[in-house]
Amino acid sequence: MAAAAAFMERALEQAKFALDNLEVPVGCVIVEDGKVISSGSNRTNATRNATRHAEMEAIDVLLREWQKMGLDQAQVAEKFAGCDLYVTCEPCIMCATALSILGIREVYFGCANDKFGGCGSIMSLHQGSTSSDDLSGSQPPRPKGFKCTGGIMAEEAVALFRCFYEQGNPNAPRPHRPVRIPQQ
Amino acid sequence: MEWELTEVPGNLTTSIQDSTVDVVAAKIESKLANTLIRQLSHICPLENLRHVKRVRRRTECGKSELSIILCLSTGYETCSKQIPDDVQKIVDTYHLNPFAAKVSKRPATSKEEWEEQCKLWPTSYHPAHDLDIVRGFREEELPSIFNCMKTAIQLSKVGNTAVIVDPSSTQIIAKATDQTHQHDTSEEGNKFSEVRADDTCSLSEPTDNDGNLLLPRFFLSKPNSLNMEVSCINPWGWTKQRTMEQKPLPGEGCFAWHPLRHAAMVAIENAAERDRMMFPSSTSITKPDSNGNLENYNEPAKRLKTDTKDKEQSADESCCSDLFETSRPYLCTGFDIYLVWEPCTMCAMALVHHRFKRVFYALPNPVNGALGGVYRLHGEKSLNHHYNVFRVSVPEAYLNGLNDGSKQC
Repeated sequence: MAAAAAFMERALEQAKFALDNLEVPVGCVIVEDGKVISSGSNRTNATRNATRHAEMEAIDVLLREWQKMGLDQAQVAEKFAGCDLYVTCEPCIMCATALSILGIREVYFGCANDKFGGCGSIMSLHQGSTSSDDLSGSQPPRPKGFKCTGGIMAEEAVALFRCFYEQGNPNAPRPHRPVRIPQQ
Repeated sequence: MEWELTEVPGNLTTSIQDSTVDVVAAKIESKLANTLIRQLSHICPLENLRHVKRVRRRTECGKSELSIILCLSTGYETCSKQIPDDVQKIVDTYHLNPFAAKVSKRPATSKEEWEEQCKLWPTSYHPAHDLDIVRGFREEELPSIFNCMKTAIQLSKVGNTAVIVDPSSTQIIAKATDQTHQHDTSEEGNKFSEVRADDTCSLSEPTDNDGNLLLPRFFLSKPNSLNMEVSCINPWGWTKQRTMEQKPLPGEGCFAWHPLRHAAMVAIENAAERDRMMFPSSTSITKPDSNGNLENYNEPAKRLKTDTKDKEQSADESCCSDLFETSRPYLCTGFDIYLVWEPCTMCAMALVHHRFKRVFYALPNPVNGALGGVYRLHGEKSLNHHYNVFRVSVPEAYLNGLNDGSKQC
């Protein structure tokens, strides 16, 4: 658990980076063989693309790198099967599906996401399919599950959200609460 | 079979009796109402029941009576055990007589449901959409809706296609096809740059140009069978793909293939790119004003109403420089998306995040469909945004017409 906390610290650093850039403060790291090989933070405001969650950013770093190394689809799938994700907030339904599609091994998250969490809160996409793949290949590959552990340093993750909503979301549509930068 | 539009409901109706919560209430004198509301909402807020009104007014025997919800019921038999100490103090102070009551658990989704709910205990009701748009679309929109779907079908080569449309002008905002497999980067239809301002959905009757389109393979062979090349139908199939030869990457930041680049995801990215190009002024958030306040930062106007009256009004109000900003949409608020195939949970949630108003698809996805096929994500109450979902039934004669067109080439 000490190792998990250390990786979650790194994810929280990413979330703080997002907060400093007036983004929704969620951050993550992807770990392979006990090493952080990728990190990401929410960039929905900067990109004006509401799908650019921290997980998507960190995933794209790896896909780009592995394609540059010349790995093909099967090799990339094998790589993801040896990777764990640490993210400050429960992956949403979109990201949970994405992580299942990639076949990630394990996910650790901070606070739960009771609006659109995809790893137990609203849907349970980490559970995958109970039946195993049809080896004959006549059926499409079934949903892959991944092990999922929540509640790691959840208070820290929530505290960042609280900071964010107190300062206001500059990109939210009108009417919204005024954006205030704390006087330092 | 004719072109047809049917709404895909977000939930299958549940009876109101299954969806209530027990509470403890008490009759109060009207002069105490304000004091008690303030005290109770402080010590015993009704979390998750924000749609429920704290106080009920009823007229009995010509006399108006007020009752207030004290707290949620804990399920014990007698009322006294159900009340937390803080609330009990209020009960004692004001000599109240608690009684059990039921309130509806969830906000009403229709006027009828709301009227039913209010028989139990009053709730507030916020219609999700403009009242004048019955069923989520207007009858006169149908030809344009069908044309937009034709555009999507005609763009479809292999896999799914997504077309984002501003319904107020039927202008195409962005379009994309699946990019999960290795693709030819010169492929048409995925390029944002080819979207012109006058590119509307109104020109989709077969023309000479259309005859040159590579027609959707899935219509040519077995129209009713599942197409495993559609990313949303077979999202886990990417690992089985083999790259024949590793082509050099198309450029910095691009991918030769990408397991998550389903048509809807790419279309959203193209729409975001268009937004950044058309409205570049607010990309960088720099400094707050002297008060440390960013309130006047160029935030996009919330765009829910798409009627022309709004536009004229905003044009009048803004001298010149604001005009562009007021027409800038917030994400895809107010926009529609047309998909040939029903989206998977990843894409359907992406459409929630990106604030689409309506989702239209032609063919259901019984394997991984998130909008009726397997799940009904759009009926999930906890989400922070909801869109309407429609299925467009495409006549076989139209698809056969496409086939004939291909033979002529």
